[in-house]
Amino acid sequence: MTTLWSAVRKSSLNLSHSNVYFTNWFVVRLYSSKINIPKRIQRGPTDILRALESTIERDPTAAHYKYHDDPYLIPRVNYTKRMFAMAQESGRKTAHWIKEQHPELFQHREADPFIQSFAPTIKFTPDSKVAEEDLKHAIEDTHVSDASLIYKLLKKMGAEINNDTQLNLLELLCFYNGDDAMSDEFIEEKWFKQTSKEVREQFKKTWKDGGLAEEVFISIENPPAEAYSAIIQGMAKYYQADRAFELFEEAKGKGHILNTDVYNSIIRISPILKEGYDLRWSFVVDLLNQMSKAKLKPNLGTLNAVLRVLSTMGGGKLVKENVLKTLAEFKNLGVEPSLASWYYVLIAFCKDRGPKSGVLFEILKEIENKEFTARDIYDTYFFVTAMEICRYHLHSKDAAERVHNVLMFKDNYNLIGDSYKESIYYRHYTSILCSQMPIEEFMSIVYSIIVPNIYIPEPSVVKEILDSVEATGSIEFLPKLWQDIVSFDYIRRNIIIETVPAIMANNEPPEGSELHEQFAIIARDIIQRLEALSQDERTKISLSGEMFGNLIRVLLRDNDFNSACTVLQKLMKGQIEVLGVPKIEDLQLFIEHCEKNKAPTKAIDCVQYAADSGHIGYEELASKIIKLFTLDENHLNKLSKIVGPDILHQQESVSC
Amino acid sequence: MAKLIRNNALFAKIIKEHAPPQCFIHTTTNLNKCQAGRYRISLRKDFPLTYEMANPPHQIAHRKAWNSWNTSNVDGGVRPAETAVEDLFIRKFITGTWHNLFVSEVIIKRQHNIIRIAGIVHQQANARQMYFLIGYCEELLSYWLQCLVKMELQTVQDKRDVVFKYI
Repeated sequence: MTTLWSAVRKSSLNLSHSNVYFTNWFVVRLYSSKINIPKRIQRGPTDILRALESTIERDPTAAHYKYHDDPYLIPRVNYTKRMFAMAQESGRKTAHWIKEQHPELFQHREADPFIQSFAPTIKFTPDSKVAEEDLKHAIEDTHVSDASLIYKLLKKMGAEINNDTQLNLLELLCFYNGDDAMSDEFIEEKWFKQTSKEVREQFKKTWKDGGLAEEVFISIENPPAEAYSAIIQGMAKYYQADRAFELFEEAKGKGHILNTDVYNSIIRISPILKEGYDLRWSFVVDLLNQMSKAKLKPNLGTLNAVLRVLSTMGGGKLVKENVLKTLAEFKNLGVEPSLASWYYVLIAFCKDRGPKSGVLFEILKEIENKEFTARDIYDTYFFVTAMEICRYHLHSKDAAERVHNVLMFKDNYNLIGDSYKESIYYRHYTSILCSQMPIEEFMSIVYSIIVPNIYIPEPSVVKEILDSVEATGSIEFLPKLWQDIVSFDYIRRNIIIETVPAIMANNEPPEGSELHEQFAIIARDIIQRLEALSQDERTKISLSGEMFGNLIRVLLRDNDFNSACTVLQKLMKGQIEVLGVPKIEDLQLFIEHCEKNKAPTKAIDCVQYAADSGHIGYEELASKIIKLFTLDENHLNKLSKIVGPDILHQQESVSC
Repeated sequence: MAKLIRNNALFAKIIKEHAPPQCFIHTTTNLNKCQAGRYRISLRKDFPLTYEMANPPHQIAHRKAWNSWNTSNVDGGVRPAETAVEDLFIRKFITGTWHNLFVSEVIIKRQHNIIRIAGIVHQQANARQMYFLIGYCEELLSYWLQCLVKMELQTVQDKRDVVFKYI
């Protein structure tokens, strides 16, 4: 409450200020004759909301606010997070479609002042009558396809178009490559978009050759420097590198002075223009010299472009030196690096096969306790890359925690990127902490906070957590983990369903511990769920016999003889596809319990199963039975059928 | 006279023209019949009522609350007629779009330029379908009413979960 109050007060409530001044007026009069009334601070319409917002933190116990707060509607499985959000967006799109399909139904004007985005958009057809004003509006609203159509119609009519408008159109077409931009309204689609593709398709040419943008450019007589800038940047952005460079040379030849951004975009495509590393670097240096001759001040874009080129040039010593030189140079120029700059530095220094580099620690010194805003499109790649380096390159828990603190500082979380990057980030984060932190600490301060609302671990990460639970023998976490495994729907995952019983069987809880009972509950749960799965014909899972042996052992430790019998029966009937057989120790334990429960038939069944499934140790089991039980005629006959009469006689002679 | 009274319009005319303003005196006892918002006991006494249905209108503000929350009808309130018609439209739209899913009344709450639509739905539709409908209703209604519309739903597994009593 105090933080809230101070934030609101800071933000503006002039009223509360004046109250304070009023009540303390006499006191103030006593001590000083002069009252300083603070200058009024101009506030925007959303300042109070922002102040209130700054007092709220993400609540890890609740699902993200885009989901409905109802147990049925909260996503618990990884893929449902995406599915629910996208379903809602799909509904919104449907409504949007209806509005566009029936614009005549949405012509009323209810709101005052009228809100344009609730009204259907005006459609243009090849028969529409258009004027230059329409083109201006379309450009202003970034309706790319509308603008293209209107431009074509105007040309057909032979109308004269203002040079400025033409230039604006060219800039719009170049920026979006003639395609409609993704609407800002549908944020979920952006959030769940697969960005891994983007990285893979880096440097792939997507520029539309001979498209409308080029047509517009040609139609401008004596194109000014701005027109050249637009088309060169457009081509460079969509990797039509050769022609961008041609036009760049042409513009310089004509004596145009191009701006910094054009130089930046040419630097960015230099990996396509120049193959060899040395050639590439000298090309970049040459461009920078040209800029300084043209008295152009480099900006953040220049820094990031140069670093990006350097990050594509392998892991040589020279590259690293050049990176450091560049950073120093730009620091002198007063250019503050953005997160994208640090991202490129990380890529240049930490190569998979290269030597270990501690550059991340240096970067952390720079960025800790700082708030960042998006300044470069690649800013969102920093956190995920930094965390990956913590995990695979540095193997450092401390670095991971420090990176995470930077991410959590103020509004830096906005730079996490999208759902794909977020989940990879957390995969690395959980994995490194789980392997290097004491497991108790990990479960209490990491796992319990981020799982399941912020991050649902993938099966491989769950396996890692299970492994470290086993390595440290902290089996008290197993019941909680099993609960989560069930709710994440990982029952079908072999690696997990095999590991859990193995851990339970290999780590025997102390005598009289509650865990015996809890483990038996888990084991029964597993059996039940496997049964349900085996009835579902779509899913085929094959499990190892060893796992069933482990289940039997866990059940018998809790003296649950009946359930153990059901497991054995399942194995005998071959209801579930089983690879291999249970361990001999588990079957021996079963027979010992048969003796306790006075169930010789079950014990003989066990030998039968061992013999049928080709277990090597079945004779050993048979002799164990003879040792433990006094069998009647019937049972003896049965047993001799399985193992042959010789063993029985041997045993008899021994006992005599 | 009795014949004339049956003809309402004519009766009103006669009153207007001939009778001075006066109280009509009842010579019979009051019937005090009021039916709105009340349910009749069924033959087998198995008609389900929700809590909201079980309480007659005079219990509003005592044991239950309003179904529409707005300030249109207070002194100085704006758009009373429009609000009522819009609320009716919203109710029809929601019951039609969420076909057979709403098990409670549709509650409509207006604050500034936001309309919040609340209610309880049956888990007959799966969560994905519900999210689709939520997105669809919010967006389409906001195009129609030209303000922000939000849905606040709760779900129940069984329709009987909302039954308060059987009469």
